[in-house]
Parts: sequence; C-alpha cells; structure tokens
Amino acid sequence: MASTNRIQQSSAGARIEGALVRPPSVEITVDGMPVVACPGESLAAALLIAGHRALRASPRLGQPRGAFCLMGVCQECVVQVDGRLVPACQTPVRAGMRVETGGAGG
Amino acid sequence: MSVPGGDRPVDAAVVGAGLMGASVALFLARAGMRVALIDRGGICRSASGVNAGTLTLHMTRAALIPYAMRGFEMWADASAWLGHDLGVTRTDGLCCAFTKDEAALLEERTRVRAAAGAPMELVSPARARAIEPGLGEGVRLATFCPIDGFASAYLTGLAYRQALVAAGVQVLEHRPVDGAEPAGTGFRMRGQGFDIRAARVVLAGGVWLEPMLRWFGIDLPVKVLVNQLAVTERLAPVLRTVLTVASGLLSLKQFSNGTVLVGGGWQGRGDRGHATGTLLPENLLGNLRLAAFALPALRDGRLVRAWLGLEAETADAMPAIGPVPGTPGAYVIGSVHSGYTSGPYMGRLLADLILGRTPERPLFPIDRLLAAARGPATEVAAQ
Amino acid sequence: MTDLDLIVIGAGPAGASAALEAHRLGLRCLLVDEAPSAGGQVWRAPPRGFVRRKADVDARAGDRLRAALAASGVRVAFEHPVWLITDGFRIEAVGPAGPVTWRTPAIVAATGASERVVPFPGWTEPGVIGLAGATILLKAQQVLAGERALVAGCGPLLPAVAAGVLKAGGAIEAIVDLASRRDWLAVLPAMLTRPDLLGRGLGWLAQLCRAGVTVHYRHALRRIVRTEGGLRATIALVDDSGAFVSGAGSREFEVDWVAVGHGLVPGTDITRLLGAEHRYEHDRGGWIAIRDEFGRTSVKGLLVAGDGGGIRGAAAAVEEGRLAGLAVAYDQGRLDDAAFARAARPIRRRMRRAAHFGAASARLMALRPGQVGTIPQETLVCRCEDVTRAEVERAIAAGADELNQLKAWTRCGMGPCQGRMCGETAAALVAAVSGSRAAAGFWTGRAPLRPVPLDVLLGDYAYADMPLPRAAPL
Repeated sequence: MASTNRIQQSSAGARIEGALVRPPSVEITVDGMPVVACPGESLAAALLIAGHRALRASPRLGQPRGAFCLMGVCQECVVQVDGRLVPACQTPVRAGMRVETGGAGG
Repeated sequence: MSVPGGDRPVDAAVVGAGLMGASVALFLARAGMRVALIDRGGICRSASGVNAGTLTLHMTRAALIPYAMRGFEMWADASAWLGHDLGVTRTDGLCCAFTKDEAALLEERTRVRAAAGAPMELVSPARARAIEPGLGEGVRLATFCPIDGFASAYLTGLAYRQALVAAGVQVLEHRPVDGAEPAGTGFRMRGQGFDIRAARVVLAGGVWLEPMLRWFGIDLPVKVLVNQLAVTERLAPVLRTVLTVASGLLSLKQFSNGTVLVGGGWQGRGDRGHATGTLLPENLLGNLRLAAFALPALRDGRLVRAWLGLEAETADAMPAIGPVPGTPGAYVIGSVHSGYTSGPYMGRLLADLILGRTPERPLFPIDRLLAAARGPATEVAAQ
Repeated sequence: MTDLDLIVIGAGPAGASAALEAHRLGLRCLLVDEAPSAGGQVWRAPPRGFVRRKADVDARAGDRLRAALAASGVRVAFEHPVWLITDGFRIEAVGPAGPVTWRTPAIVAATGASERVVPFPGWTEPGVIGLAGATILLKAQQVLAGERALVAGCGPLLPAVAAGVLKAGGAIEAIVDLASRRDWLAVLPAMLTRPDLLGRGLGWLAQLCRAGVTVHYRHALRRIVRTEGGLRATIALVDDSGAFVSGAGSREFEVDWVAVGHGLVPGTDITRLLGAEHRYEHDRGGWIAIRDEFGRTSVKGLLVAGDGGGIRGAAAAVEEGRLAGLAVAYDQGRLDDAAFARAARPIRRRMRRAAHFGAASARLMALRPGQVGTIPQETLVCRCEDVTRAEVERAIAAGADELNQLKAWTRCGMGPCQGRMCGETAAALVAAVSGSRAAAGFWTGRAPLRPVPLDVLLGDYAYADMPLPRAAPL
C-alpha cells in the first residue's frame, strides 16, 4: 500500500491529552515499518494517528479505503494482524503486533 | 382477471420460475409458443438463485453425467444463447479422499463416472498438490477432471429474466398459483386475482412439485433436502480448482472477487412450508471444519454469511422430467440431483418433447416412481 | 453456563438495565457483549489499561452503569460476539477462549443502532468518518482524526461532535447541517423535557459560537475530493427535503478530515434472524420489530429494548431495558399481575417522559425524502462491493422489485458489512419504484450476525473428530 501511504502522511491524527492517562507506548509494525502506539487503544485509532489512513483497496475499483464507522460495522478498516483478517477498530493494540494493510484480496 | 395481453389462452404456462421452469419457458418461446411463466415469488429466488453454482461432474450421479456435460457446455456458452455470462468460470476440478475408505469410494466413483463419459483420472497426492497448492495435509488419493467450474448462481434470475422478456415470455412474479385443472382442451391456473388459461402446463416447482402434482391426482413423494451454504469474506488467492471430496460432502470454490463458497449438502432444518429454514450449527461447523481441513488457508479469514436452500429429491434420487401420467398436455420437470449444472439442458430436452420433437436424450418419466409407490401388486398387473 | 432464564445480548444502556432488572427479580441472567465492557456505543468505557482523569456526563453515566453491574453480581460474558441464534433458543458466540454455546428460553436483544450515511461523491475517501464514529474516537479513544475538520449531517450528534472536536483542541472549518434553525426550534418543546441535555446542547452551540465556527444550516455535502493537503469538501444549499437547490452556489473548505452522519438506524439483525414480524416506522429510524410496550416481539421469548427496537435515545433505552427485564420475569412467573403492574408503572412513566426527547432526536435524524435523490449515478451506494447508484437502478429496471432480489442481481449488500452501510440507500432506491419502503422490504436475516473469524470458530480438530454425514448417492 505504499502509494496510498504517501498521500496520507500529511494527514495524521493526534492523541488528545488531558482526559486520559495512557499506559506507556509500545511498538508495533505496520507494513514492516515500526509504529508507536498505546497498548489497548483501537488499532484503527493508532493507524489514523500514525498517518496510515488508507488501509485497503476497494474490490472492483481499487480505491483506497480506511476506517469509517469505527464501531465494527462497515468492515472498511479490515487489516491483517499476525496473519488474520480483523477489523482494526475492534482490535486493541498489543505490543509487537504485525499489521499488514492492503487487505487480502482487496 | 386474466393475463395482461388478452383472453386468448397461452400455448404453455410454466408454473415455477426457477432454472428448470425458466429454461423450458425460454426454449418454448423461442420456438414460437406464447408462454406464461408464473412464480409465487420473484424469479429464481429459491434453489436456483441460492445454490453454490458448482458446475462439476464430481458430484454428478453417473447416469446424469452426459446431461451434466451438455449442461456445462451450455453454461460456458451462456453469453451466446442466454445473453449473460453469469460469471461462469471454467477451472480444473479436484476431488479428494482423506482416508482409506474414502480412497476406495473415490476409485469406484471415478471408474463409474469415467465410464459414463466424464474425462476423469485418479491422481497421486503429489500430483493433487501440484494441481492445487493450497491443499491441506492428509490427501491419500484424488481425482482430476478438466471439465469443472462455477457460475454466480445469484445472477440466474437476472440473466433469465432479460432473455425471457426478450423472447416474449410473460413473466408473472409474485403470483402464487392456488390450483390448476383441466379446462376445455387445455388448463386453467387460478390464483389471487388472476386466472390463466393455457393449452399446456409445465410444473416446475422444485420442492413444491409434490403439492403441484396433486392438482392432477398424482401422489409423488418429493423429499426436501435443506442444504446449507456459507461464504467467506474476500481472501487472497488460495484456491484455483473447484475442490470436492469423495463422499460428495464438500464443495469449495473461490470467485474472482476472492470470496470462497463452501457447500456440500450439509443439512439444516426446514420444510416446503417455509421459504427459508434454520441453520443447524453442528452441521455448519462440520461443513466448515471439513472445508478448512481441505483448504487450511480458510482459517485466516472470516465467515460472512450462511444460508439455506431447498432441493428436491425423488425416491430414487433421479430426475422427474416428462409428461404427467394421465393428464395429456401436462408436464413436469425437476428434482435433478446437482441440477444446476444440467438445468438448461434438461429444460431444452423437455421443451423439445413439448414441441413435438424427439429429445436427443431420454427424459425421466415419473411413471417409474408411481409404479413403485403403488406397490408390487400393481407392478405385476402393469407387466 | 447451563441453566439460564434469560440472555441479554448487548450491554449498552438498554441491555445492562434489562439484565440488572431481571437479576434483581431473581432470574438467572447472562449479559453478553462483543465489547470488553458494558456501556454500548454511547457510554463506552475507555480502553483497558487507560485511566480516566476527567469524566464528562456520558463517561460518568457509563461508570455508574458499570459499577452497578459489578456490584449486582449479574453474570457477564464480554468479548463474546454472538454469531448465530436458533430456535429454542440456542446461542452461538465466539469468545477469547473459543466457541461457546448457551441455551435460554428468553432473549432481550439490545444491540443498538448503526449510523446512516447517505452517499455523496468522495464519501469513501480515507479521512471521511461517520459522526457516531467520530464520537467514539473522540470520547472513548480520545483521538482526533486530523487537524482541520468539517462536521456534517444532521441530528444531535452534529453539535456534539463539533463541540468535542473543539474541546480536544481541533479546528473546525465548518458545520454543515441539513436542518434549518426552524427545524431545531420545532423540537425545542420536546427537548425541554430534558433541561440537562438541552442545556448541554446550548452550551455546545455557545462554544462553537465563541470559537467562530459557522453553522451552515440547510446545507449538505456535495462532494469531497482528495488533495495534496488533505480533503476538499464542497457544500451546497438544500431544501427541506434534503435535495440540492438548483442554481444555488456552493462553498469549498480545505480540511483534512470529515465527520458525516445522517441519523441512526435500528439494528434488527437478531429479530430478523429469528423471523419476528417487522414494520417500517420512519420516525423510529426505519424497520423495527413489531413489539408491545415491554418489548415483546412476535417470537415467543424474544424481546427488544433500546435503539435496536426503535430510535429513542439512551434515557428511554434504560427504561425499555427495565421493562423488558420485568416482562421476562413476569412471563416466567416470578411476579403476579398486581406486582407486575406496580413495578411497571413508574418505569413506563419515566420511559414516556424520556421518549419525548428521544423522539425529537429521532425526528431530526430521520431520512428526508429528497436525500437519496441527490446521489449522482456514478457514486457508490455499496462500499463493500463497489456498486454504483446507476448499477442499482439498472437492476431495479430489470425487475429487482425488492431488496433481496436487488442484492442477488448487483451484490449490493453481499459484502462483509452485511448490508448495513448500503441498506438504507438501496431500499430508498427500490422504494422509489416499488412505491414504499414497506414494499421494498428488508434484508433477509442471516447468520453470522457479524463476520466471525474461522480460526477461532473452528478450533483444533483431527479428521476423525468430524461427524461426517452419509455420502451423497452415486
């Protein structure tokens, strides 16, 4: 998904400070690259913050897609975590998790 | 209220707009008949629209192999004669055996099917894996067949409806027929707010053939199989063949969109009184476990949908195709095991009979089932 | 877990309340949810391992609910998405340790609602998220999706998200509201029944005003395109039906994320799966199970509570949950008629009061008759399968006169979201030809209720473990 990542690097999210005390951050890998995230936060949130907005390509048109509903309904944020397809918004970050974007067949 | 278009009786009324009925109606209309195709629901919304779409010889009864092969050719050529390709994909077919008993079964079935004309051959586990790299461990023996593939069965209604309308067939959906009876020189089909007269009638009601045949005093038990199916989300390419097993209890195919469809005739709960049945979890899990055993890559993905379809089966599990005994002008078509593959061909054969032509292959008259049902005394008398 | 009298599916305000009430009345009750804790969408707990330093009204309500559950001793099964329910009832779920089967004579389905987003060009661009999604991100995860937002759509979530973005230190280029000021004023009387919520809403408006954020009433998103710097959003004037006013100009905003939502749709997966009768009720968000005041559906032993039974908001959901729990207890003989009526009276009163505000919110969120008509032909209706409006309408013209036939002929609704994102739009397009939403129908209820991972579902087994039925005939 290198081509879509390039577009999205300029649009990154941010963690809001103040209301929550977060545990110490950990490292995960996304498409082979290290990404810092908080254990327990939603993987979709962590990816948004890291600028990984495009998570897969749509099936027929190949359009970039990313998290949309954030509640496990739309299935647009499905990524591979340690080899398995999961919706990122329903997956809590865990130290060392290996995330591959680009879906499976699209 | 009669059929829109006038009070003139149609030349043929086909009751049941599944694959069989739609095929008969199409070929009759193209030969010049005025045809009405009637269904209580939408076209091809029962078995024809929800089955696995497998076009295979591995799950075909030996006696039906020649019919399935002709049907396969028709499906492969659907763009030309139907005007829609239904996503028909030709692939290799691989049928696997995982135990010694299954291997023996596979050897026997391959022999019989090959003798019936199927271009099948036994292959070693190593060769099977070369044909299908994603195969799981434990394959003892396999059968390879180059004539295999699948269609997107859910497109059947769309494809046929367009062709039927173009051929001038009156497609009458959402019109349940309450009864049919001889009337004058033809027949009369009655329902809520409609009354159709036809010179001939074709019963093509799938699992509902049993109540339909009773309209003409025929008592033909039609067993209702409640087949469960399941489909995954899109996966990376993990399967290039249509994969089946010796017992016939598994079919696997991966569509071009990446989804994998799991079938095999594992039973749910249902009956013809309810359009849709209920899943039996143990059977769904059993089917999926067998699938994942044969194709371990399935475990990386998720199940997205499971559903059921009703399939008709006669007492000898052979088709019911031919005239309705005792009622000239009435015909029946249905109850074909793995009938999706041979469906268009069966429809053409019956249409030929109705048109006064000689069908190029024998049909399957139901007299054989009625004689058996009546009992030995009658059989002796008939001889 | 063997002997159960009731399983409540969904541990949001409605479900948790149903479980608490049933448990209080002596029922052996199990509360199940796919999330790691109770609270649903509206009262979501912070992620595990996170500690809240500051809590707003919703956070406090959620904490109270979770504390009440913990103190009550109600049996819970979190992180257990339910994927299949069959008659009887038999419930299949998948937990962290693998598949689980439960049996129960009664179910309260309290699975809430999902968000409706009417498509527009660019709605599928990464960086465009739902209003409800933005709420979850802001409140539960404490995350901003970008630096400069455009917030669009309709309903109470609109000012809520906008205020949330400001509070988090984000910038808002514009708020785009389908409704007019008059539409809001029209629901003011009903909203007065909840002065606390109304006050909070007015507080949000004041914050937005102070921050100089403009609210464009009677406007909608026309399109979004990806740019070097992010996203360019174009908005234009609409009429009260939600249709664009021809000839009116448009405005563009350079942002890097967009939150958009057009209301909530009741989640009827369970009631459809079990074959309950449904009715289309526009003011309650769409198709809902036909139910009595206590949530009893046409299927014996199956009750609904909360937004899943019709959009009425969190406060009404709590009372509906209580009524459902009470009804199950009564139906199972734990209360006599008099005790049941006595217990029900105050809950019914509170529910009717709460429903005023909820109904007003629902009205603001209802799909407007002209909205779907604004979708350009080449815009995607089905995100999962890349199906455009044009393709949907071609299939309708070819004879797909109800939703499930449309699905068969276009694949719209066949994808992993199981028709939840496209259903409203597809049904409205079918209804335009078939005459009504009621005639257009709804998706046939099927399992799994959500996509279920095969690895965990199947577990480990040997070939010999599989109970293979008899071979098919040769």
